[in-house]
Amino acid sequence: MIDNTKCECGHQNHEGTVLCESCGKPLHEDEDETKPLEMRYDGVARLSQRKNPSLLNRVWNFFSSVKVAIYLILITLVGAALGTVYPQENMFINIDPSVYYKETYGTLGHIYYLLGLSDTYGSWWFKALLVMIGASLVICSLDRVLPLYRALSKQQIRKHLSFILRQKVAYKGDLAQASASRGSSVDAGQWVEDAAKTLRKKGYRVHTDGTALLAEKNRFSRWGPYINHIGLIIFLLAVLMRGLPGWHMDKYMGFLEGETVKIPDTPYYLKNEQFNVTFYEEDEMTDRFRERGQTVPKRFETKAVLYVCEENCDNPAKEPVLKEVARHNILVNDPLEYKGLLAYQFDFALTPRLVSVSPMLRNKQSGQSYGPFTIKMKNPGVEYEAGPYKLVLKEYFPDFSLDEKGMPITVTNEPNAPAFVFSITGPGLPAEGVPYLYFPREADKAQFRQDEINGAVSQVWDISVNSMEDVEIANYTSYLNIRKDIALPYIWAGAAIFMLGVIIGTYWQHRRIWLRIDNGSELALGAHTNKNWYAMRKDVAWMLSQMGISVDPKQLSDEVKKA
Amino acid sequence: MNLESVSSTALLIAFILYAVSFFLFVIAVTGKKWSSRDPEQHTRKWATLGLFAAIAGLAAQLVFFFTRWYVAGHIPTSNMFEFMTFLAMMIMAAFVVIYLIYRSAVIGMFALPVGVVILAYALVFPPDIQPLIPALQSYWLYIHVTTAALGEAFFAVGFAAGLMYLIRVTDFRNSKRERRSLEFVIYVVLVILAFVIAVYTFKGMNYSASFEQETTRIDQNGQEVTEVGVVDYVLPPLVKPYNSVTVEMKPFLGMTEPLFEAPSWMNGVNAGRKLNTFIWSVIFGAVLYALIRLVLRKPISEAIQPALSGMDAEDLDEISYRAIAIGFPIFSLGALIFAMIWAHEAWGRFWGWDPKEVWALITWLFYAAYLHLRLSRSWHGVRSSWLSVIGFIVVMFTLIGVNLIIAGLHSYAGV
Repeated sequence: MIDNTKCECGHQNHEGTVLCESCGKPLHEDEDETKPLEMRYDGVARLSQRKNPSLLNRVWNFFSSVKVAIYLILITLVGAALGTVYPQENMFINIDPSVYYKETYGTLGHIYYLLGLSDTYGSWWFKALLVMIGASLVICSLDRVLPLYRALSKQQIRKHLSFILRQKVAYKGDLAQASASRGSSVDAGQWVEDAAKTLRKKGYRVHTDGTALLAEKNRFSRWGPYINHIGLIIFLLAVLMRGLPGWHMDKYMGFLEGETVKIPDTPYYLKNEQFNVTFYEEDEMTDRFRERGQTVPKRFETKAVLYVCEENCDNPAKEPVLKEVARHNILVNDPLEYKGLLAYQFDFALTPRLVSVSPMLRNKQSGQSYGPFTIKMKNPGVEYEAGPYKLVLKEYFPDFSLDEKGMPITVTNEPNAPAFVFSITGPGLPAEGVPYLYFPREADKAQFRQDEINGAVSQVWDISVNSMEDVEIANYTSYLNIRKDIALPYIWAGAAIFMLGVIIGTYWQHRRIWLRIDNGSELALGAHTNKNWYAMRKDVAWMLSQMGISVDPKQLSDEVKKA
Repeated sequence: MNLESVSSTALLIAFILYAVSFFLFVIAVTGKKWSSRDPEQHTRKWATLGLFAAIAGLAAQLVFFFTRWYVAGHIPTSNMFEFMTFLAMMIMAAFVVIYLIYRSAVIGMFALPVGVVILAYALVFPPDIQPLIPALQSYWLYIHVTTAALGEAFFAVGFAAGLMYLIRVTDFRNSKRERRSLEFVIYVVLVILAFVIAVYTFKGMNYSASFEQETTRIDQNGQEVTEVGVVDYVLPPLVKPYNSVTVEMKPFLGMTEPLFEAPSWMNGVNAGRKLNTFIWSVIFGAVLYALIRLVLRKPISEAIQPALSGMDAEDLDEISYRAIAIGFPIFSLGALIFAMIWAHEAWGRFWGWDPKEVWALITWLFYAAYLHLRLSRSWHGVRSSWLSVIGFIVVMFTLIGVNLIIAGLHSYAGV
């Protein structure tokens, strides 16, 4: 079917136009003439309303539909809701989902897992939905914003009578009657000029064309939806960018007090100098809460130092050369930040562990002590001096244990039960030295029977600390969440643009009033707004009353039905 | 009298004033046809009194809010009691704003009960002032929670106006389905009220029961941790917590043992107790509903309809829409954007698919669909009003339901 899109005013319209782009006359005569006009996008044709679409055009047309957009929103809504039925896989660090859901939630849980709902938000279909919403946002907006811009930037002032009177807010009256009662005659041109002056007081921008008038206010609010869609597109793109390698890093690492740990895939090292946890004191609680006897943590704090590696970074044989670049007391809600690298307080654990001991070498028979000398549990040195005596570290078992054959082994590389085998040389000792096995922890010393193993040597020699002051212990491991997120600025920019658009689009309304006077005194007035009709009617009624026509705002909307 | 008790007294006064304001608005609307008076003058007089009561209530609640803030040292929006009272306060503020624009007494008749019910609901939670845990020590607690609640308050007004529209236009003789749906919505509101009544009834009777529950959870090292905790009941236990033994239970109507155990998949903190409370609320709600029906001798919504006869249906539709249009940007800002900024600062990620986050997104998507349907598909009137009603149910699920049945990072907001 070929539409005749030429209007009686002589304007040639685009295919799919509902209201003449020039005079506003409805182009389809078959509809109910008593109903208000459909004013969506000012009745202009959308880009997608073209004939004989190609395949690409068909895709465009599909995504240009608001109906499709709403379906996409609702499907995403349902999908997102399904994802909250059971905890998602990523809530756990260490589970096998194929077993976990069945064991914890039974058959239903297993079905949930099999459907892929245990990782809803990482699934291909959920991502596809987000991409489709993005496509819909771009295409819907472009499809409408260009024709709408064209229509609003060249509006004709004198509109067709049926356009004016079929607005939701409309008024029709004879000025001659109103004036006659006051004993004056009507000058249509002057009346329009006066009306224009009145409307300008209300902040309208008024254009007149002889006996016709167009008053307009807050047109910019029409761009609100398109601005907020741009913001959402930027936001969605930024979210998708995070999937690119190098754009996004997310690691959980434990840092023992005093330890410097390399952050993988970066040149950085982080040291936890000290971790503190404090709890609320009783006098900081209200009386009623104190009665509950609960302890509430007040503060978790990691005193962190960030280093960047300058030399020997990938050479395990050499000590890396580090340079301090940042220092920060990391709190919950207050991360360390350095050039896009972020370290958050995530958790902590009480992990009492030896860092170093500073014992003395003692001769039990003479009662003389030599030293002290300091042994570190991590990467201990090889040679130690205690007065005239020399101790050489022959073997080190950080986590001492005995295997089935009774041979000493180390279970892990963590100093949970450190044991040192020294060879002691010095005055009165053989040149090849005497072997001595030393357990710094008293518990290990008893359990593995240090003195029995050392045999005769332990009759004379002993290595031990004087007091707890010579023992350095790290109490806490602080778990930090190390992150890098290059997309963040784009995310915030997208969100800000979205907010701007939404506020423009909802807190202001585009209001327009058209009026024309025919045959010297027949006034026809129509008004349209995209929302808040209440205020629109009030504006029109106020203008009319200023012009000497008193009308109840409510009656204005019934004009069409009465006619 | 110390400041803490000044604070709780002020809240009680606010609650009473809101209830009084509600009755004043009811008189303003229903008393029009009383003999020997000018209807318009009558409405104006009583509605003005109602508005004064509402504003006085708001002032009292502000006293509560700021004294509590002073005593606690942090903004009182950090647990369920504080959040719900704040939400009620925001609903009252949103009501005053909308009322000053439209000046219609009927709005008071519908918006005030929503605020009153939510405040009553809040009063059931333990009102202790708790010290702030580290995760909440941020000025975003002030910004995020308050803006989110304000946005939701406008949705509540949109819900009230939408419900009014539906009651106004429904033809009760010929539309069974609509009538049933409306009655169901009213029943849901009554269930919340019934919950409050049930808790206070049994508290008044000094009823108590307690259970020892064994829970297993997985810590962040992937290890299973088993904990034993005591769960105290105020309402007679029809349902006992999952995997628990009875420590003490006062007999109730000859019942000495709970009827059944809560299912294992209810993950929330104290899920068993909450399920038990829910069942009691449904029962009390049904009793309450039946009593009102008995008095009225017709469906409640049908009985309300005459009060709305003076109201223009189109105005109601527009009030509902405008309240939601005002609320949507505030909600987006508070519940999503500020939430993302805070999440980024506290947890190191702006979005983590935590159930509460997801449900805030669902609420947002729902109202986005509402706006698109209204603007581009011309859904006005009945369909739009039903969406505003369903939308508020989604809001309430996000606020209460998520804490009830799904555990997550926001679980500290529940009790």
